[in-house]
Amino acid sequence: MPPTPTPSTASKELLSLRDVEKAFFGVRVLKGVSFNVLEGGMLGLVGENGAGKSTLVNILGGNLKPDSGTIHFANALYAPRNPQDAAHCGLAFIHQELNLFPNLSIAENIFLTRFPCASRSPFIRRSLMHERTTALLRQVGLDIPPDRIVQGLSSGERQLVEIAKALSLEARLIVFDEPTTSLSERETARLFNLIAQLRAAGLTLVYISHTLSHVFQLCDDLVVLRDGEVVASGATSSFTPDKLVSLMVGRTLTNLFPQPKPNTVGSQGGVPVLEVRDVSQPGVVNQVSLTLHQGEILGLAGLMGSGRSELARMIFGLAPFQQGAVRVSGEVIHQLSPRNQIRRGMAFLTEDRHREGLCLDGSVADNLALVTLPQHGQPPLGWLSLESVRAAVSRIRSVVRLDTKANDTQPVRTLSGGNQQKVVLGKWLLSQPKVLVLDEPTRGIDVGAKFEIYTLIQDHAAQGAGVLVISSEIEELIGLCDRILVMRQGRLVDDLPRAEFNRERILSAALGSSLEVTA
Amino acid sequence: MKPLSKANNLLLRWTQSEYLVLGLTILLVLAVAPFTPELISTGNLRNILSYMLPLFIIATGMTLVMITGGIDLSVTSIIALTSVIGARLMSHDGGGLPSSGAVLVMLTLGASVGALNGAAITMLQLPAFIVTLASMMFVSGFAVWLTQSKNIYGLPESFLALGQRLPIALALTAALALAAHLILHRTVAGRWLYAVGINPTAAHISGAPVRTITVSAYVASGFCAALASVLLTGRLETASPVLGRELLLDIIGATALGGTSLFGGRGKIAWTLFGVLFLTVLDNALNLLNLSQFSITLTKGLVILLAAVLDALRVRFHIHTPA
Amino acid sequence: MNRFHQRLIELAPLLLFVAMLAFFGAQSPKFLEPRNLANIVAQASSTGILAVGMTFVLLTAGVDLSVGAIMFVAAAVAGKMATAGQPMPFALVVMLCLSLTFGGVNAFFTAQVRVAPFIVTLGTLFIGRGLGLRITETRALNLPDSFLMLGSARFLGLPLPAWLFACVLVLAHVVLTRTPIGRQIFALGHDSEKAKKAGIPTTRILVVVYLISGLCAGLAAVVTLGQLGAVSPKFGEQKEFAAIAAAVLGGTSLFGGRGSVLPGTLLGTLLIQTIENGLVVMNANPYIYPMATATVIFAAVLLESLRRRIH
Repeated sequence: MPPTPTPSTASKELLSLRDVEKAFFGVRVLKGVSFNVLEGGMLGLVGENGAGKSTLVNILGGNLKPDSGTIHFANALYAPRNPQDAAHCGLAFIHQELNLFPNLSIAENIFLTRFPCASRSPFIRRSLMHERTTALLRQVGLDIPPDRIVQGLSSGERQLVEIAKALSLEARLIVFDEPTTSLSERETARLFNLIAQLRAAGLTLVYISHTLSHVFQLCDDLVVLRDGEVVASGATSSFTPDKLVSLMVGRTLTNLFPQPKPNTVGSQGGVPVLEVRDVSQPGVVNQVSLTLHQGEILGLAGLMGSGRSELARMIFGLAPFQQGAVRVSGEVIHQLSPRNQIRRGMAFLTEDRHREGLCLDGSVADNLALVTLPQHGQPPLGWLSLESVRAAVSRIRSVVRLDTKANDTQPVRTLSGGNQQKVVLGKWLLSQPKVLVLDEPTRGIDVGAKFEIYTLIQDHAAQGAGVLVISSEIEELIGLCDRILVMRQGRLVDDLPRAEFNRERILSAALGSSLEVTA
Repeated sequence: MKPLSKANNLLLRWTQSEYLVLGLTILLVLAVAPFTPELISTGNLRNILSYMLPLFIIATGMTLVMITGGIDLSVTSIIALTSVIGARLMSHDGGGLPSSGAVLVMLTLGASVGALNGAAITMLQLPAFIVTLASMMFVSGFAVWLTQSKNIYGLPESFLALGQRLPIALALTAALALAAHLILHRTVAGRWLYAVGINPTAAHISGAPVRTITVSAYVASGFCAALASVLLTGRLETASPVLGRELLLDIIGATALGGTSLFGGRGKIAWTLFGVLFLTVLDNALNLLNLSQFSITLTKGLVILLAAVLDALRVRFHIHTPA
Repeated sequence: MNRFHQRLIELAPLLLFVAMLAFFGAQSPKFLEPRNLANIVAQASSTGILAVGMTFVLLTAGVDLSVGAIMFVAAAVAGKMATAGQPMPFALVVMLCLSLTFGGVNAFFTAQVRVAPFIVTLGTLFIGRGLGLRITETRALNLPDSFLMLGSARFLGLPLPAWLFACVLVLAHVVLTRTPIGRQIFALGHDSEKAKKAGIPTTRILVVVYLISGLCAGLAAVVTLGQLGAVSPKFGEQKEFAAIAAAVLGGTSLFGGRGSVLPGTLLGTLLIQTIENGLVVMNANPYIYPMATATVIFAAVLLESLRRRIH
């Protein structure tokens, strides 16, 4: 049972962070983060993608250790070595990717490591377990039999099971990480009801979300993260939505982007290299049309889940769509598949470089050569000229400025994130694509490598290719692109030429009506 | 990360070396030869070679399949089926086909069974283990049914020569091994094969024809099994519906021992050669030492466990090697 | 896909089984006689027990190729002891201890050294076969009648092997569905990394699972000895494949996390045995048994894969 709130006038701090630092491969992801969460209060944590929220959550959850700084929970030093420690101390996490086992029942998931057994008996006391589970489910407002298999539950229901689990572990602080992304309106309302109940029972909550209206609605205090730093914190009442947005995106302008090259062809009036007409897939994208011209860098902004990556995958032939057409260099493509698209001069750098972009255990050279192998030998059994491959690999290595210390035969797994991404990019650039689609090309990469990648993108466009860049970093798109499209919930909602580039406008379009503070 | 101690360093270099198994073979010969000098007599070496060749052929096909991350349990049943069908075709009441024709039919048959395996695995998306297991049972049962458990004798000289005349068998094996090696090393298909084994999704996105490559690996495996059957049947002068049945685990063991990973993405024909060589020499040496069948099988088992531990060590050290 | 369709697909193996019964019953009325049906169960017992042990291993996304060889070695030892005049109960105990030891070896290399189960159990397969050959000196061993009693003794119309099978089934079912470790096995099989993060003792569970498989191999050997009364050099050969097929047929996934012994493995085993028995009763050409079995296995695996796809 959650503790009853203390009747003192001044609430104590339940969780407090002091100067927490974390770096990966020399890139500082958290820079001296400090803030408090008052007991019984609800803190909203906002920030763009890449601001450091997930790293922070991982540290609190025992999956990562901070490089320096201290964390206190309930007046004791808090340094969990693993998720079990965190749970033991009284912190619970409702992640976006739920930690449930879909092949087990609700009750089994909740009691997975602490099944109630009869004394001296190895058997689970099913009825007791079900009773307890039912009670927990009632607390979260879920009216489902406890022996139901999790596989059959909706995202909303699964989330409630996670919350029930947190309650069963007698959590004092619950962190919600993007809880409403996969919920329906009804489920969201149900969640908020539950949150109100939890607060009334004295629980402390931390709420992380992109949906600013919800944050305004629910939270007492806010902390704004940007580039790993806390740029503002305080009572929610001291913020306005506009101020919040500008705090999230504002940044001291340093020369992060190479000077845009004078486009030899220009984005206006250039020959279209990629045309997407009214592509629709129910539940994913809705009547999306865009045109990419020669020499143009087109940006696609939007939140996660807005359909950008899904659209790119459809264009490349990795996902089906029910309606619409895709034209490359004027030709309608009927059989969309990676092979066909590559033959037509298209390249696609996917969002998940580890799972889809690289053969991690393969060598640097093998990865670089993969797409363009047919250029060096007639597939399938034609003689492959190793010399020719080696020359191409060496050429592209210098083009992408791959770390010279990295051997050609080294497994790609051992490279840093920036170098890994350069390998993927190099692999595609070797094919000299006319259409280059990049999904989050600089995710998880340090500033220096980012600059180099931007240069490569611009060079490539200057040579006449059309580049489509999908990114969650608005800064990046503004610095790089000739034009920016914004997607939200599967639709194109805005189209800005460079003259009209405006951070707030883009973010507002991406967030949409969620920016309106509901009563 | 602590720097590795000297002993660990040596162990690391050792396990990473491609020639570890070859070295072990040589060690083995050196250790046993003093006790049984016949081991290195020309007659015995001919024996070893003759025994080794069909094994190596099958293992070559198995290597290709394992590089894609799969496995082919049906190879020995393909040996049996192609053996009896080829023999039947060459016999008087079966059509009196000349040996060349029979060999062609055998090879095509082996490749076809492989194609069926590959199709089931890629199109029906079933695990290779079960598909090739069912395949093994069916094909083996079919061979036994066709011949009513009877062996076929009286095969033409021209056919027997393929298996019995060492230079011919050696030439066939060498040609196949060389072809396989070149495919892996010097063709686009070979590179695609490795990519499919390491990460089929990334390979697909990078334009590799994943399905075709996978099916081709199984076709190659079936083909190799059929070719091995030609040699085996010739050497034993008998076409039998249970030919090669006891070889399956030896083949898988030898291939894994050589260093080809069961998880895919790693493997070389040369490695498989070392693995097969080692197992064959071991078998031969133990036989010459007059050890019972028990000791031989037992030792093989211990060797395979050793291979497994080596593999685990390789993987662990591989990951920790600094960039 | 509504619940009805889902249930239908869930029940596919059962429906297949009923279809088989109907088919063979139509071919020959003798097939459906109680005596014959009891025979089926008795004949299935050995493979069934083996398959139950295999189910545990498969649930963790592993495999145990050595079970046939463990059967062999255990039977060989018992045979040797019996011919040397040792009392049967003692021989049985030694069999079980020996099979547990082999399971322990598998467990050690798989769970501690973290080697691929395929390779480890391949190694122990060879070791087991080799030891068995040594003990039997590559000859057949005939066991005293006391062993045959094990196979033929009847209780309530069913022979002892069938009862042993039933006990193993029930015990396994209870462990898998009613004990913490049983449920944790499913979690581990679904995602071992996630399970570890959730605090499940994954190493311990893997050890237990291979020990169980080894023990079941020992029990299966007892049953087979009771039915054959002799140990030949081919004892237990290829049984590992039959066990895997039976488990997979019953709905256990090779990738872990899904499966059951009741009704799953029971049905899978009975299905395979029914085909063989049915073919015998209808006097079919014995040469088509393996092909028929292989076809049914393939069809059942295909069905299972469709089930997975729909989920």
